[in-house]
Amino acid sequence: MSIFRKYKEHLTDVLYIWREELKQVIKDEGVLMFLVIVPLGYPLLYSWIYNNESLHETPVVVVDQSHSALSRQFINDCDASSDVHIAYYAEDLDEARSLVSRQLVRGIYFIPSDFATRVSRGEQGTISVYCDMSLMLAYKAVYQTAMVEAGRLGAGLNIKKSGNYTKREDAITAQPLAVDDVTMFNPSGGYGSCVLPAVLMLILQQAIALGIGMAAGTARERNRNGQLIPTDDPHYRGAYRIVWGKALCYGMIGAVAAAYLSMAVPCMFSFPQLANGWTLLAMLLPYTMASVFFGMTVSCLVRYRENVMLLMVFVSVPLLFLTGVSWPQSSIPGAWQGVSWIFPSTFGVRAFIRINSMGATVSQILPEIRILWIQAAIYLGMACLVYRHQFRLARKYAIK
Amino acid sequence: MKYISQIGNIALRELGILAKNRIYGFCMIVFPLLLVLFFTTMLDEGLPQDLPIGVVDQDNSATSRGLIRNLDAMQNSRVVYHFANITEARNAMQEGKVYGYLYIPEGTASKLLSGRQPKISYYYTMTCMTAGSMASKDLKTIGSLGSAAVGQATLSAKGATPGQIKAALQPITIDAHMIANPQGSYNYSLTTVFVPGILMLFMALLSAYAVGTEMKFDTGKEWLRMADNNIVVAILGKYLVHALVFLLVIFIYQYYIFGVLHFPRLGGVWSIVRLSLLQVAGGLGFGIFSFGLMPSLRMSMSISSLWSVLSISMCGSAFPVPGMDAPLQAMSWLFPLRHYWMIYQATVLNGFPVIDVWFHLVALVAFTLLPWFVLRKVKNAMLNYVYIP
Repeated sequence: MSIFRKYKEHLTDVLYIWREELKQVIKDEGVLMFLVIVPLGYPLLYSWIYNNESLHETPVVVVDQSHSALSRQFINDCDASSDVHIAYYAEDLDEARSLVSRQLVRGIYFIPSDFATRVSRGEQGTISVYCDMSLMLAYKAVYQTAMVEAGRLGAGLNIKKSGNYTKREDAITAQPLAVDDVTMFNPSGGYGSCVLPAVLMLILQQAIALGIGMAAGTARERNRNGQLIPTDDPHYRGAYRIVWGKALCYGMIGAVAAAYLSMAVPCMFSFPQLANGWTLLAMLLPYTMASVFFGMTVSCLVRYRENVMLLMVFVSVPLLFLTGVSWPQSSIPGAWQGVSWIFPSTFGVRAFIRINSMGATVSQILPEIRILWIQAAIYLGMACLVYRHQFRLARKYAIK
Repeated sequence: MKYISQIGNIALRELGILAKNRIYGFCMIVFPLLLVLFFTTMLDEGLPQDLPIGVVDQDNSATSRGLIRNLDAMQNSRVVYHFANITEARNAMQEGKVYGYLYIPEGTASKLLSGRQPKISYYYTMTCMTAGSMASKDLKTIGSLGSAAVGQATLSAKGATPGQIKAALQPITIDAHMIANPQGSYNYSLTTVFVPGILMLFMALLSAYAVGTEMKFDTGKEWLRMADNNIVVAILGKYLVHALVFLLVIFIYQYYIFGVLHFPRLGGVWSIVRLSLLQVAGGLGFGIFSFGLMPSLRMSMSISSLWSVLSISMCGSAFPVPGMDAPLQAMSWLFPLRHYWMIYQATVLNGFPVIDVWFHLVALVAFTLLPWFVLRKVKNAMLNYVYIP
């Protein structure tokens, strides 16, 4: 047989397997659900959940025992801030506590009776803030608003005492060293803009891995001998053509999902989007490939279709943590950093956040892209190995 | 009496299944315990410490170096880079090397001494909110320390006492009481929702899996025969074992975090036991219900896994439910984890009476009773359906 014919035959088999696999995907509602409905619907749901970005008007109760102009000014200032809403006034701490207990408020501002007297005497006046720590965002709103307003009120008092003549002098008294606070790449500090890009990329990997795993499970259950690879079909006669055929099928679906997740979803919900198209392509290509081969490798390890679901679904939350989006990468213990290198999502998410939210160029995410290519190559090798093993197993059973 | 012996027999049979199929051992015991280890070691620091920060010091004065030293000495920040200009610093941020940087322009020290109000800037990224807010906190402190240093020098030159200086610099102070989590540790707030959340995911998945595999391997008829075709007895017997194993794992987890790691809690032991019972009952009930809705192994597992993963966001421990859109606020009632978390933070964390969150308690009881509506469907599926792969 000439080399040319051999290659042609090989190619025909690959294309045939591609088509067969695609038919399977469309016929199997379980696979269809994870490969199409999850990437399509889940991001929309998550975007909707986080769409409001930040928490405003956290309810707070005030216990004002000072009853002074100064204490009322503090309360008014806090109420006027965007993050806190003075929802209740309580007579004492016990009453305030019962409001916290009933989840009506998230914190207590307690102004003691000697507050204004002390400030007027030139001593430090103290306001106690009691925070319900069950919600970190609410705690930050309650605490930081009190800090900011107390600082501003104090600066105002200092200006009054200073005996300055001009506004400029007042400004210098209040703040001899001016500071400019600049939030970059997610200026509103929104929760959604921070978490969502990571979730999008994670969904891509998980959906591909789950879809491939489910399809492999179905193939095994359909097979008489419980094998992954059918032996009665002449086109399935080599491990490599099976790997390439399947990779083409899932890569195709993955490419569509990747484009949708990286471009359409952030646009629909107007999350930050600084990505350059070519940079995005340079990162998504290895990421999708690594995910596909990763999914194919994992799919050989499981016997039943449901098992892949039990495995992949449960790791998704730890995987999100390993990317360093909710817990800073610099604080992840070394052992877990090592574990995170196994998964394409770790680098896919990091690279995507930098491209999408921070406008990074290819050269700035080069380390991540390199690792993704290496992962794609390693998982391709592993997929070939495990498929060759499966292929031999299937042959053995068929001969029996 | 007959029922009790039937339940006992079915429970023994179930115990045999759990022992034989390794999936149960992994998903009920190994994975959850691994997860506990994962979160507690991952978040062991409580608050992120020594975050990499850069500085752009174009002033190169004693004052600017003092500010930088102070920043480096802060618990949450570590100065790792000195950049020549802003562009370099921004590049490093985009490369993920630093979470923020401090910019001190030329002439800061001389302007500060001559009272011409110099301006320093700090830039930080909020693409990782934990790191961003920690970095901004430290950078803010540096800014106010810089201002305070000037005031302090002036006042002490005028002969003010330390007490007077303190009062003059900060006339009003805030005395913060962070109830039940005095360090503001993320370990205490995240581990206690993610671990139970994923446990509930396993409960829902495995209870659908357990009844689904009866159908898949065509053993459902045998199972029902042991209960004389009484579906209530059959389900009670089957899930008694699941409930006990899950309870055991939950108690190991609770003992580890409260007994060994000393997570703060103001609620008593009874509040933990009550919550654990509700959690297991609600989680299993939800799983059986999802199988009853769609008596197919694959569909019921897919639905309950998608729902359970969603519940980790919908329980409102990270982004609060009152901050979501109104339809989502209503939907949050349909997630068992939401009720678990509400009862947890009120009764276990803060030690408030359970009566203040009674509606969440009722909701979990309702989840436990949900399978009631689908009993006949489950029975029908066991007796008449044929498994199609």
